[in-house]
Amino acid sequence: MKYVVDRVLYLIVVLLIAISGVFVLVNKMPGDPAYGLAVSIAQQRNMEMERALEIAHKLMGIDPHEPLIVRYWRFISNLLKGNFGYSSFYQTSVNEIIAKALPWTLFVISLATLVSFLVGIYLGSFAAQKRGTIIDLVISGIASIIQAIPPFVLAVLILFIFAVRLRVIPLGGAYPVDMEPSFSLSFILKVIHHALGPMFATAIPQMAAWTLAMRGNTSQIMEEDYIRFAQARGLKDSVIANKYIKNNAMLPLIASLAIAIGYMLGGHTLVESIFNYPGIGFYFGKAIAVRDFGLLTGLFSLIVIGVIVATFIAEIVYALIDPRVKLK
Amino acid sequence: MRKKRFSNFFYDYVQPLISNKKSLAGSIILLFFILMATIGPMIVPLNMNSDFANRYQRPSLQHPFGTDYFGVDIFQQIVHGSRSVISLTLLASLFAVIIGTVVGVARGYLEGISGKLLDAIITVFLVIPSFPALLILAAIFADTKLNTVEVALIVAIWLWAPLAKQVAAQVLTVKSREFVEASRMLNMGLGYILFSDIAKLLIPYIFVNFVTQLKSAMEFSIGLMFLGLAKFDPTHWGVMLNYALYQAGALYTPKGFHYPFFVILNIVLLIYGGILLAQGIEEVFNPKLRGHE
Repeated sequence: MKYVVDRVLYLIVVLLIAISGVFVLVNKMPGDPAYGLAVSIAQQRNMEMERALEIAHKLMGIDPHEPLIVRYWRFISNLLKGNFGYSSFYQTSVNEIIAKALPWTLFVISLATLVSFLVGIYLGSFAAQKRGTIIDLVISGIASIIQAIPPFVLAVLILFIFAVRLRVIPLGGAYPVDMEPSFSLSFILKVIHHALGPMFATAIPQMAAWTLAMRGNTSQIMEEDYIRFAQARGLKDSVIANKYIKNNAMLPLIASLAIAIGYMLGGHTLVESIFNYPGIGFYFGKAIAVRDFGLLTGLFSLIVIGVIVATFIAEIVYALIDPRVKLK
Repeated sequence: MRKKRFSNFFYDYVQPLISNKKSLAGSIILLFFILMATIGPMIVPLNMNSDFANRYQRPSLQHPFGTDYFGVDIFQQIVHGSRSVISLTLLASLFAVIIGTVVGVARGYLEGISGKLLDAIITVFLVIPSFPALLILAAIFADTKLNTVEVALIVAIWLWAPLAKQVAAQVLTVKSREFVEASRMLNMGLGYILFSDIAKLLIPYIFVNFVTQLKSAMEFSIGLMFLGLAKFDPTHWGVMLNYALYQAGALYTPKGFHYPFFVILNIVLLIYGGILLAQGIEEVFNPKLRGHE
């Protein structure tokens, strides 16, 4: 128990350092979030840019002369209350944007991770059992080549081939703009249709990674003494393959499942921006483009919290399923 | 003495590389690109003048990879760009190895609060998702002209932490062993203990890590360029990809499909070489994986 408390405290320190670093980084970004608004004010009212900027700052609730440390303190104390800040571009609280965007992101990444995990486990153990044959060569060869395609390149290729050229998936959005969200079958089908692009772009690289990891683990376990012993006892090959090898090779991967979902929260940024899919990553990309510092720090904090919580869950799961890793 | 050292290096590091099929294939691919980067630009001249009459020419003998939106030969750009792609990757991996080793050794050796704090900092860099962070960095430096060393450092920031963690764990286990105790008793000094006693044990780790992170170094630097750090070098493949997809809209016109295709083909082939080399090296140096091929 003391171990768990220590671990939580340690992770809170890590979280604090990470969030503070990002806060400073974001606030060092060049560009004034109020600039765009100021330009339109200056044109409309025919006034000087300086005066227009001042009005824009007032309208967006930004004080450019406020010292960084004051802003930082407000940010941290808000965060402690569960308030992720205020978006100057969308003129609303970051919590509201998170509430709107997070379900889409979670929907895509959890489904993509789950499917790619199951398929990867199957392909990986299959390849390991057929080690050295053509089947193994094809499976692990294709998986390595997929790993060589940077995820953003893969996402762009899927978008251009399937959305632009073949027009079999939509170009963006989570559902058609002219539809009201409801629990009707036609709406749900549309939602799935819109999620296909980002889902494949997320699932394919992951599937390759799971396949290779599972193949490595399985190969390693097949050399262990207890497998030889099981064979010597005359157990059926299928029993050994499923009960002894597959389960033991899979256990460490189950722990990394949590970490994978945590990291996907951040890694999904590019996929969502490329597919214009209105999840966390899409708003993150938008926040960078329009220099919305409040939205940016809020979303980044959310992503880092997600990764840290996932890491913690993975540690606990690992300790639970692997008796060799005892909680001190 | 020097000669002996060289032959040791050969037997310890070069021979295992050639004996493993994967690392041999990976080395050949990487060697091909290194040759392209070193002597390629001397053989292939680069003419970046736009020639709109020759826009989007299909691959031919005159233009092996065709021409781009501006009628510029794509093959020439790929060859010249390989120089910045390769040098960025190698430099970023090198920086990452240096930072990772220094921080790792320090973490392993320091005790108390300062050690714990270093540990927390290593973990911070492990948990921060790199692509969102790279997006922010790309935006910060979007309007600045950076040189290779600076971009390599930006990439290295996201690569060093795993090595630091491994090195720290190694130093922690080694630190209490007899021969380190002996050196300490003999008052050999911290520098001697760290760099002579401990470093010797770490070299295989550092070597393997340098190779395994080549893939991420390539992916990150190309991603950074692709995301809009475009002021770096117009022939860097990441910048070329950005131009192809976003500036020239090459995939919207059926005639321009070969433009991004050849850029992506080279990127994937280069990274694939890195993956093969890394997989081979891990098989060679990680005894647990040995004997499976």
